[in-house]
Amino acid sequence: MNARERCLNILHYKNVDRMPAVHFGYWKELLEEWAEQGHISKELANTAVVDGSVAQKELDKILGWDCVWGYSVGARLGLMPTFERKVLETLPDGTQRVQTGTGVIERIKPGIVSIPSEDDYLLKDREIFETLYLPKMQYTPERLNAEFFKNFNETRDKTVPIGISLGSVMGHLRDICTVVGMSYLMYDEDEDLFAEIVDTYAEMQYKCVEATLATGAEFDFGHYWEDICFKNGPLLSPELFDELCAKHYKRRNELCHKYGIDIISLDCDGVTEKLIETWLTNGVNVMFPIEVGTWGDQFEPARKKYGESILGVGGMDKTALRKDKAAVDAEIERMKRLASMGGFVPCPDHRLMPGTKFELVQYYTEEIKKIKV
Amino acid sequence: MSILIEISENLQKGKAKIVKELVQQAIDAGMDPQEILGGLLSGMDVVGEKFKNGEVYIPEVLVAARAMNQGATLLKPLLAESGAVASGKVCIGTVQGDLHDIGKNLVKMMMEGKGLEVVDLGTDVSPEAFVNTAIEQNCQVICCSALLTTTMGVMGDVVKAAEAAGVREKVKILIGGAPVSDDFCREIGADCYTVDAASAADVAVALCKELGA
Repeated sequence: MNARERCLNILHYKNVDRMPAVHFGYWKELLEEWAEQGHISKELANTAVVDGSVAQKELDKILGWDCVWGYSVGARLGLMPTFERKVLETLPDGTQRVQTGTGVIERIKPGIVSIPSEDDYLLKDREIFETLYLPKMQYTPERLNAEFFKNFNETRDKTVPIGISLGSVMGHLRDICTVVGMSYLMYDEDEDLFAEIVDTYAEMQYKCVEATLATGAEFDFGHYWEDICFKNGPLLSPELFDELCAKHYKRRNELCHKYGIDIISLDCDGVTEKLIETWLTNGVNVMFPIEVGTWGDQFEPARKKYGESILGVGGMDKTALRKDKAAVDAEIERMKRLASMGGFVPCPDHRLMPGTKFELVQYYTEEIKKIKV
Repeated sequence: MSILIEISENLQKGKAKIVKELVQQAIDAGMDPQEILGGLLSGMDVVGEKFKNGEVYIPEVLVAARAMNQGATLLKPLLAESGAVASGKVCIGTVQGDLHDIGKNLVKMMMEGKGLEVVDLGTDVSPEAFVNTAIEQNCQVICCSALLTTTMGVMGDVVKAAEAAGVREKVKILIGGAPVSDDFCREIGADCYTVDAASAADVAVALCKELGA
């Protein structure tokens, strides 16, 4: 069996010969660290960060990984064209205020690897939405690289799972408006406008997915990115999330079902528990990456509550890979218990970060493959 | 309905414009600024409790805090004139190497909503900057925030810097953020870890009181 068959079989409660060693990718800084330590070449460190790339597969092979989860392809689902990225101001300490492609003003400090802090944002009212954003949220045929999908079924790597990108119903808009801007619009300034933005964006993404599927390309799963939760749960009320988003998940997922795609995965960091109901009842059935280590998210309670309809990829505390063999062994034991429930593929609960020990990753991949399902 | 209740209720709904108008009305009617501030603070108290209990989410806190700020801006000069004192003083920042500030800003808002004076050091704050600010500005509490597992270790350096400066007994160190936990707090020798912004504000008030603010 190959990694694709193993992952898909597990997510369909079918037998496999062994557990696949699945990961979520690498922080660029980790690869640089490994290059400094002499584990990999600098060239590999520069290129292996791209999911699905030949270089990443080369590094995966060295470490013993079978595949990455979440690798998906599709149309361009964001603003198109994006705003021109420009430096608005450089402060005396070298910090730059930069307007990004989404229209958010970020503060970027040289030498610091972090999520940038958001200073300001453009999308504040209807006039700006209609003049600057609405034209960028339309479906046009240019969003789809038809050439790429022409011989996709013949040329794709058939040994690893590849999904169709389904976009993001709320997460992209969080990126466009910022958490603060989104909150002001939704709860005080213009809730109707915010709902209209959600609907407009979702319509464009639906058409993108529709056009991608119409090419005849076949996919193993559908994949969303949301990142709409944090340590204490969702970034907005579950009721409002459901009201704004449920119909869009349903419509997009029903379209996938028509094309035989029954595995719909969703990448959301943080504690996701309160949003699972909306996702699951509207066709999203794989929770990923189930961040246990950083945020304390859990898979077992969801399985108890929703039964076998809910599937999972993730849930392995990646911080164990920075510690020692005993910490990894404890995670392997926990993964064994989760895997025994079926419909669950262990995977580090986010991209591997700086400080991760090369030899512990090799040890983990060896051990995880020993799990019988 | 009393204007103070109206202020409190509109603040809870995040209606910044209305809160500002009501505060101005109260000032014009000659009400004691401290009493008007009480109306704002009582509204933030309700929001903070609901946030702790999972009844409201970040957006509700953000809009309420904005409404609070708009009202408080009108009151500030009047409170200064009357010689009113804050219930304590804290300095807050995201630790060195980390630029993420949503959590830090939320904590700051909740603390201001509790009547504390907050010195905002921004992001990427060095341990020395935390400690020097606490000394120079007589802060009772240093609040450190971190989003990343790679930067949370700096919180331990803040504790060490406070020890090195000889002020560890005079200043309490409160930590929070995505990767932080009670165990980590104990490990680095900080005083308190809180799970959310509203709890951080409650604890900061208690710590200031403990230190006799």
